[in-house]
Amino acid sequence: MSERSLEDILQTTKPVDLLRDSQIGAYVYPVVPSEYTNWRDEQRAWRDSCVLFDQSHHMVDIYIEGPDALKLVSDTAINTFSNFAVNRAKQYVPCSYDGHVIGDGILFHLEQNRLVFVGRAPCANWIQFHGETGGYDVAITKDDRSPGNPKGKAVNRISYRFQIQGPNAWELIEKLNGGPVDKLRMFHMAAMNIGGRQVRTLRHGMAGAPGLEIWGPYEEREEIREIIVEAGREFGLAQVGARAYATNTLESGWIPSPLPAVYTGERMKPYREWLTESSYEASGSLGGSFYSDHIEDYYVTPYEIGYGSFVNFDHDFIGREALRKIADQPHRRKVTYAWNADDVGAIFRSMLNPGEPHYKYVDLPLSNYASASFDKIVHNGRIVGASMFAGYSYNERAVLSLGIADPDIAIGDEVTLVWGEEDGGSAKTTVERHEQIEVRAVVSPTPYSKVARETYAQGWRSREAR
Amino acid sequence: MNEQSLEDLLQAAPSPVEMLRNSQIGPYAFPVVPPEFTNWRDEQRAWQETAVLFDQSHHMTDMYIEGPEALKLLSDLGINSVRNFAVDKAKQFVACNHDGHVIGDAILFHLAENTFNLVGRPSAHNWVQYHGETGGYGVSIERDERSAARAGPLLRKAYRYQIQGPLAQEVMRKLTDAPVPDIRFFNMETLRIAGRAVRALRHGMVGQPGWELFGRWKDRSVVRDAIVEAGQEFGLRLVGAKAYSTSALESGWIPSPVPAIYSGDDLSDYRRWLPAQGYEGTASLGGSFESDDISDYYLTPYDLGYGPMVSFDHDFIGRDALEAIAGDPPRRKVSLAWKAEDATRAFGSLFSDSDCAKFIDLPLANYATLPYDKVVCDGATVGLSTYTGYTHNGRTMLSLGIVDVRYSAPGTAVTVVWGEAGGGSSKPTVERHAQTEIRAIVSPVPYSRVAREEYAVGWRTRMH
Repeated sequence: MSERSLEDILQTTKPVDLLRDSQIGAYVYPVVPSEYTNWRDEQRAWRDSCVLFDQSHHMVDIYIEGPDALKLVSDTAINTFSNFAVNRAKQYVPCSYDGHVIGDGILFHLEQNRLVFVGRAPCANWIQFHGETGGYDVAITKDDRSPGNPKGKAVNRISYRFQIQGPNAWELIEKLNGGPVDKLRMFHMAAMNIGGRQVRTLRHGMAGAPGLEIWGPYEEREEIREIIVEAGREFGLAQVGARAYATNTLESGWIPSPLPAVYTGERMKPYREWLTESSYEASGSLGGSFYSDHIEDYYVTPYEIGYGSFVNFDHDFIGREALRKIADQPHRRKVTYAWNADDVGAIFRSMLNPGEPHYKYVDLPLSNYASASFDKIVHNGRIVGASMFAGYSYNERAVLSLGIADPDIAIGDEVTLVWGEEDGGSAKTTVERHEQIEVRAVVSPTPYSKVARETYAQGWRSREAR
Repeated sequence: MNEQSLEDLLQAAPSPVEMLRNSQIGPYAFPVVPPEFTNWRDEQRAWQETAVLFDQSHHMTDMYIEGPEALKLLSDLGINSVRNFAVDKAKQFVACNHDGHVIGDAILFHLAENTFNLVGRPSAHNWVQYHGETGGYGVSIERDERSAARAGPLLRKAYRYQIQGPLAQEVMRKLTDAPVPDIRFFNMETLRIAGRAVRALRHGMVGQPGWELFGRWKDRSVVRDAIVEAGQEFGLRLVGAKAYSTSALESGWIPSPVPAIYSGDDLSDYRRWLPAQGYEGTASLGGSFESDDISDYYLTPYDLGYGPMVSFDHDFIGRDALEAIAGDPPRRKVSLAWKAEDATRAFGSLFSDSDCAKFIDLPLANYATLPYDKVVCDGATVGLSTYTGYTHNGRTMLSLGIVDVRYSAPGTAVTVVWGEAGGGSSKPTVERHAQTEIRAIVSPVPYSRVAREEYAVGWRTRMH
């Protein structure tokens, strides 16, 4: 029996209903222990000393090999590839024909005609689809993310993937390497030594401090980890567990979870027929107070989530025409919503009052309860934006959420975020019966962190916020 | 190379209290089982309103004790009577030291003639194994370590599930396609589920009949699938590790007494036998209650609510000490219902620029293997608060406490000091924080529906 396709499912179920009542649960950051020490100190370490992120499990890796590898990604990305030599990486953003974001992630140029994409499933699926059906001369190898519930079974991946980040990161990196390491530009790749092994590196950074992403064969992960942890002791290195890891983006300002814009459009139909019912797109969940019958209302453009500067019309790509039309128009833009502490307190207080309204639980430090979150932002009685990724930052001592706001909403405006779902909540497994509550929030820049705001130089993340 | 013993560890440490307070182990692990199957609020609600499946296959150590003198060994160590302890019966086994302080408790199953299984946190197991091996008993002992303490692949001897909640009987009826076995609490029988032989222990929670089911490890998936399938129409929910760890809060069982083995010359041989890396050597002690003397952390069976189990019909270690206090035990086990206003204030400190209160993780707020917060009243320490969390059923923060008898009446107002002194110990779970006082109302154990009703007409009305 062959699996049903997403298109089959949509014959009888509306996309919004399918996703809002999904039974998949929250987006899991698997395998990595939830906390190594405690998530407060783990968050603090990326601000004050340095951290080891273990990114070996929660992302899909998809390898693209062959003479058409670059053509495949160029045809599907808003990004230019005119400057994409071996040992460069970039944040790959594909769009639908209508110019709506399908996803994003990091694309590494590993060697001539060999790329790997690392990120959430929607991009990986889109690449695989075009690689297999688009007549490209490429071979695709998918290394899926680790299972959310391994049930005691062994987990295996092709590569481990770590990041060393924080103000002390570079000192640690040079100690590990046994000598200076070139501070290449962001998203440039090189190699370094760790314990006599050569590992590949991607120049990354956090809160203005240079850091590295490193990777190598999965079998070597514990050996490499132990060396880093041992060497990192004098620099206050903290290993970051899954709970804190998921929240680092609240401070750095990347929105990990746009809804893939694949549910509508005649030209997207072959793709929906290719996607199976167990795919992220068909099984993922959509949650929050923003509700519309039209799934298109949940789609975002690259301009809206901070990728306007990536859009480059120097090449032909899917969605080019649509993006050209809107390029010069005013766009919604990416912002951080800083939640009012008293209102968050009221949500907590409601848990302690038998017989009174119970508001949707705010899990700490990550508060999302769906694969893609969409809470409505209201200002003067009008919906002016959406909150898309929420949690608590111990560094900022605030609940923050990343989202989008209409062009006329200014930094510093106080808006209302509606927390919780309508009519007691959807059928998602993560949703207990609850009532909605209005939470005041101050529209703030991305990245939110004062440090990052002042030191992320001319980075793309801050460009949109000004 | 000789492995280090607990005694070696203690010789090198400034004191047992210092060693345990700064342990790097973190709270007691509930491993392998996912933190949530759906969400912990609804999972808690299900054991009050419909039915739940607990997966207890991983967090407890099993120890099989066999031989003609197995019962004698258990009788010599346990406060419990073994009279009438026939095959297919179980009991909560409690072992004490010579001073009558609890070393550990666990569920003891009489599986077959001269064959027993002891299931729980490993402190009772270690004590039984030590005597079994060194006391000249005709027994053989086989341990099946809890998943958190295993190095190799996850192959346990037995799975262990519980079906609990008001509709547990309906689930069982459907599952076995037979009338629910009419057996008494803590009695066992053998059933067939999905064609597999399953031992069932009649258990219960929240005043409703429930069952603990166990069988061969290789049958675990088939049996589990059958339970989930049968439970569907009754709203059975799988309970994840987060909610599971809080079930003791409502039922009123204290899982975490400090094993009373760190002091006393009479136990030095035992400490030399215990490995440094075992439960006793690595456990972490946390909270606002502080004393230089580890024996101040020890608890008697009466403190823990096991008074009715103490039976002087046999000789056992600790008997003399317990006989001396049996008539008038000085402390009682209680539930402590935290005042909403104070819990909210502690939570709200997360948003202040000054020191936060110790983070209250939900639903289980423990940050040590052995949580010990002090309970104060009228300027004096009047008891301990030992296991803390939130119950969605009671809509309250709750801790299990042991307080002096004169403060034990339901409705008594006391204060729990939350957090550690001096900014906190060096346990990895402890961020720098400020201690805070939480007012609490002494409430009955178990903190069940009945208790809630009393609570509604009791202190709540009295306080306003």
